[in-house]
Amino acid sequence: MDLKEVSQQFERFKAAFVKNDFDTCANLLSQLKVLLTKFRSLPPLFENTPNAVNELLLAREIYEHAVVLSVKIEDQDAFERDFFQLKPYYTDVGSRLPPSKQEYLILGLNLLRLLVQNRIAEFHTELELLSATALENPCIKHAVELEQSFMEGAYNRVLTARQTAPHETYVYFMDLLAKTVRDEIAGCSEKAYDYLSINDARQMLLFSSDQELLEYVKEEHPEWEVKNGSVIFQKAKESTPCKEIPSLQLINQTLSYARELERIV
Amino acid sequence: MAAAAATMVSSAGGLLAMLNESHPQLKYHALSNLISFVDQFWPEISTSVPIIESLYEDEEFGQHQRQLAALLVSKVFYYLGELNDSLSYALGAGPLFDVSEDSDYVHTLLSKAIDEYVSLRSKAAESSDESAKVDPRLEAIVERMLDKCIVDGKYQQATGIAIECRRLDKLEEAITRSDNVLRTLAYCVNASISFVYHREYRQEVLRLIVKVYEKLPSPDYWSICQGLMFLFEAESVANILEKLLRSERNEDALLAFQIAFDLVENEHQAFLLNVRDNLSAPKYPPSESVQPGSSNPPTAQNENSTASEDVQMTNESSAVHDADPKEVMYAERLTKIKGILSGETSIQLTLQFLFSHNKSDLLILKTIKQSVEMRNSVCHSATIYANAIMHAGTTVDTFLRDNMDWLSRATNWAKFSVTAGLGVIHRGHLQQGRSLMAPYLPQGGAGGGSPYSEGGALYALGLIHVNHGEGIKQFLRDSLCGTNVEVIQHGACLGLGLAALGTADEEIYDDIKNVLYTDSAVAGEAAGISMGLLLVGTASEKASEMLAYAHETQHEKIIRGLALGIALTVYGMEEEADTLIEQMTRDQDPILRYGGMYALALAYAGTANNKAIRQLLHFAVSDVSDDARRTAVLALGFILYSQPQLTPRIVSLLSESYNPHVRYGAALAVGISCAGTGLREAITLLEPLTSDVVDFVRQGALIAMAMVMVQINEASDSRVGTFRRQLEKIILGKHEDTMSKMGAILASGILDAGGRNVTIRLLSKRKHDKVTAVVGLAVFSQFWYWYPLIYFVSLSFSPTALIGLNYDLKVPKFEFLSLAKPSLFEYPKPTTVPTTTSAVKLPTAVLSTSAKAKARAKKEAEQKANAEKSTGAESSSAAGNTRKGKLPSEKDGEAMQVDSPPEKKSEPEPSCEILTNPARVVLAQEKFIRFFRDSRYVPVKSARSGFVLLRDLLPNEPEVLSLTDSPTSTSSPAGGSAAAAGQQSSSSAMASDDESQPP
Repeated sequence: MDLKEVSQQFERFKAAFVKNDFDTCANLLSQLKVLLTKFRSLPPLFENTPNAVNELLLAREIYEHAVVLSVKIEDQDAFERDFFQLKPYYTDVGSRLPPSKQEYLILGLNLLRLLVQNRIAEFHTELELLSATALENPCIKHAVELEQSFMEGAYNRVLTARQTAPHETYVYFMDLLAKTVRDEIAGCSEKAYDYLSINDARQMLLFSSDQELLEYVKEEHPEWEVKNGSVIFQKAKESTPCKEIPSLQLINQTLSYARELERIV
Repeated sequence: MAAAAATMVSSAGGLLAMLNESHPQLKYHALSNLISFVDQFWPEISTSVPIIESLYEDEEFGQHQRQLAALLVSKVFYYLGELNDSLSYALGAGPLFDVSEDSDYVHTLLSKAIDEYVSLRSKAAESSDESAKVDPRLEAIVERMLDKCIVDGKYQQATGIAIECRRLDKLEEAITRSDNVLRTLAYCVNASISFVYHREYRQEVLRLIVKVYEKLPSPDYWSICQGLMFLFEAESVANILEKLLRSERNEDALLAFQIAFDLVENEHQAFLLNVRDNLSAPKYPPSESVQPGSSNPPTAQNENSTASEDVQMTNESSAVHDADPKEVMYAERLTKIKGILSGETSIQLTLQFLFSHNKSDLLILKTIKQSVEMRNSVCHSATIYANAIMHAGTTVDTFLRDNMDWLSRATNWAKFSVTAGLGVIHRGHLQQGRSLMAPYLPQGGAGGGSPYSEGGALYALGLIHVNHGEGIKQFLRDSLCGTNVEVIQHGACLGLGLAALGTADEEIYDDIKNVLYTDSAVAGEAAGISMGLLLVGTASEKASEMLAYAHETQHEKIIRGLALGIALTVYGMEEEADTLIEQMTRDQDPILRYGGMYALALAYAGTANNKAIRQLLHFAVSDVSDDARRTAVLALGFILYSQPQLTPRIVSLLSESYNPHVRYGAALAVGISCAGTGLREAITLLEPLTSDVVDFVRQGALIAMAMVMVQINEASDSRVGTFRRQLEKIILGKHEDTMSKMGAILASGILDAGGRNVTIRLLSKRKHDKVTAVVGLAVFSQFWYWYPLIYFVSLSFSPTALIGLNYDLKVPKFEFLSLAKPSLFEYPKPTTVPTTTSAVKLPTAVLSTSAKAKARAKKEAEQKANAEKSTGAESSSAAGNTRKGKLPSEKDGEAMQVDSPPEKKSEPEPSCEILTNPARVVLAQEKFIRFFRDSRYVPVKSARSGFVLLRDLLPNEPEVLSLTDSPTSTSSPAGGSAAAAGQQSSSSAMASDDESQPP
């Protein structure tokens, strides 16, 4: 069991990867990861073995592929898992290794993922950790711009950004982002309107046909009612009754306390 | 390794992510790495705890991996401060939780685990049902810990934990496997007595200890017997004693005697009687020689009465020459040991010691007498009490006989006290007690004397025979039944109670009950107390009978007597008394609640039990009755006397209470628990109270202060001198009120108690409580209501002496060393300079006493010199260098004691002094006592005070005895003058010729 064996295995993985044989890939990857645990130079031990640099490089490449693979098989959990395992290679031993070409691409993917999952706080935490040069990189920049548009509410810009994606892998997340945007719009409409005509709702929610809209309503928001050519949000509002502050009663109480206090003193 | 240093992990995120991998090996890898980084990254890991928990619960996961997960979770919880969760997961970690690891985590969790285990075990033991099952994993951890302690040689920790966990099996293992079994055992005994609050369990521990002792290759009989005494197993003690007595070797017999003396010191009469009765009789028919011997008047005349038993022994052994010599020897020893166990031997020796070493200062009394106003009867009787206390047990009643006219002012109850005072003075004078009191005792039907002095005489008989009333019981019973006068009944009840203390004699109980049911206030009160004395520590059913009558009667006095009596019955019962205490403390009647406080105090006496303290503190601040509050505070003193240093701290706030009753209670609590210790904090606390604004608080504080300062002299604490001067000022002051004057008079009595050779002591040397002493102080504290009860304080006096005894139980000439400056422990200097202006009368008195003292001192010096010569001759060859080196200082010591003050200044004080058997050794001095290595006598057991049996290394040489002869030689001037004084006032009935004779 040594470096060579792992590289051979990795070669096989890459071959399968190119052929888009994802089942074999996942299988091989799992074996690879187990093999990697035997290397003592890898995180979190970082022992200074003779082959340390080579091992680290190999491991980094394996995990980079793992991340990309997870995007291809559209598995967000696996993405998160692999990314976190990859991260130490960038942050902790970055200074000892030649920089990876994939680094910014993957960091950008991660930012995008956070955006998609609406984890804005973590998004900004990650952003803070990046250097100024990294921010200039098109992959990162793309993600940052998306976030800005998203926050501004310029949803149309978010959706058009799909065309300017810097890498093919980004497309998966961009699709997901469209759905996130739609959810956001739906949430706002619910609050803002009592009802919308189907036509307006379709435009608002960026659907191309009424059919799509109706399906969306059925799946995501069964509490909405589609009636007389309009979408009624009333039901959802009723379900969260507004609690009125019993202000008059409170005022009365406070005044009586004050009066009684006066009497005691 | 610069690179390695640079590549420290910055986050546990990667590893945490790995936990979510599907491959088990990756999970394992992540876990084992996380364990090593948990100290650093626990905040990050804490968010993922649910995942790790689910790994732990995952059945498919390997056993080792699951335990690893548990350990990780446990550590995270530890860092989060969730010790309970942490412990439960650590238990899940099984063997991975390494008890020997030296980290905060392990230490914290171990102590948590042990605490948990202890509380579970004790809960299980108390509820006594098996449902409270202890987690076996927890048990395993504690056991591992115990094993580790034993392996590492930390035996004390192991025994401590084992005792707390109620794991007797482990305790035994820890003891037997320790390198020094004896020391571990001693530690164990100490720990179980002072830290195990649960009585039943303590007995179990002690039983185990005794068992281990017995298994040792050379059993330590002395320790076994001490242990057995805590368990009240008279039969086993008797067996051991018998074995020792039957041994061929004299040393074994000596050891048996020593054990007997130490048992006697604990004053448990019923137990001692039991041991005595369990000793089997010798195998040949001894009836002819022994029985006449034991009650043979001629033998008592042959020698001084002390030796009567020894003499009878020699007679007997010569008489039965045909019997088996072994049996003869056994019989001889048996008689001796019976003498010891009955307490007679020790009482007699003590009496001789107190008589021969009496150093009381009559001038103090004289000053008091003169300053006290004639008409003030309270101070008049206080002076009489003070005299009795000062001379307690010394048999010196010079003062009384010198002042017959003055005494005659005492009428009614004061007369009762005067007569009873004689009992205190003659305490322990068993042989002649009856004849001494004869003039005052009720004369069958004739009714000559006043009932007050007759009652007092019966009370006095009780005081003389306290705790050893075998001989006098019948007489007291007859007197009780033969009278209808309340005052005589009162005295007889008290006397009977004292004489039959703790025997629970049914017949006596019935007699006293009859008196109680006459519903007379005076007699009823005494009857109540007396019942309590009779049933001390028996937890008898009769307590409820007494309680019922207390509810029935109208007389407060009777209720009070009964309340105290009930309290006495539960003495030392601890938890077993809880129901009764509950019943009393919840009662409507404040007097019964007041009794409840006493019950708490006595049931938990000397245990320092937290629960009892808490309860008392609660009552001390919440009860509506001042009496109950006062008593609650006072009771703290009883509970804490085994740890006197705690008391001043606990009551310090109460001593500043606005309520004078609480302040009074605080003063007495300190006085009781710190008695005779001279504790600095105690004195500091009492000092401001002696000048309190309320008169009775001043009184209490003065008495308490005297109790604390008994036998402490000015050299060791200068405040003693200040206090003495304060007392004098109060006594002489024209404008002092009666209450504090009385307090001051009593205080000066207690301060110089028993001719300055006794102290107040509630614990024996082995930390066993002395029943009589505790009971004595408890009843004494009742003097608030009834002055004659002041005499009970004499029960708590124990002589501070080292008395060496040889095989014949006689006191041989024997010297030993006290490695401290003589001035630290010497008697306070006699007051010589009269301070009042009425000094015209005084000088003659001063001269006569000082001249006597000088003459006595000279004689002693001569005697000592002689003795020294003889001993010097005996061991001149063996003496060697050490002896010579010590000689000069030793001479200095002699000079110090004898010479007059001017010379004292010129010479530097020696750093040690030679004491001669029997010697006064005060408590603080004990740690300085050393025995000479080349001495002729070697102590059987290294004890530093009390009775010490000595092994004679030169058995064939003639012995020089000191104590039995000394009264005739050294004390003849004093005795003679007393007799002369007696003759001067011989017209009165007070003087009886026996008194001038040495006891």
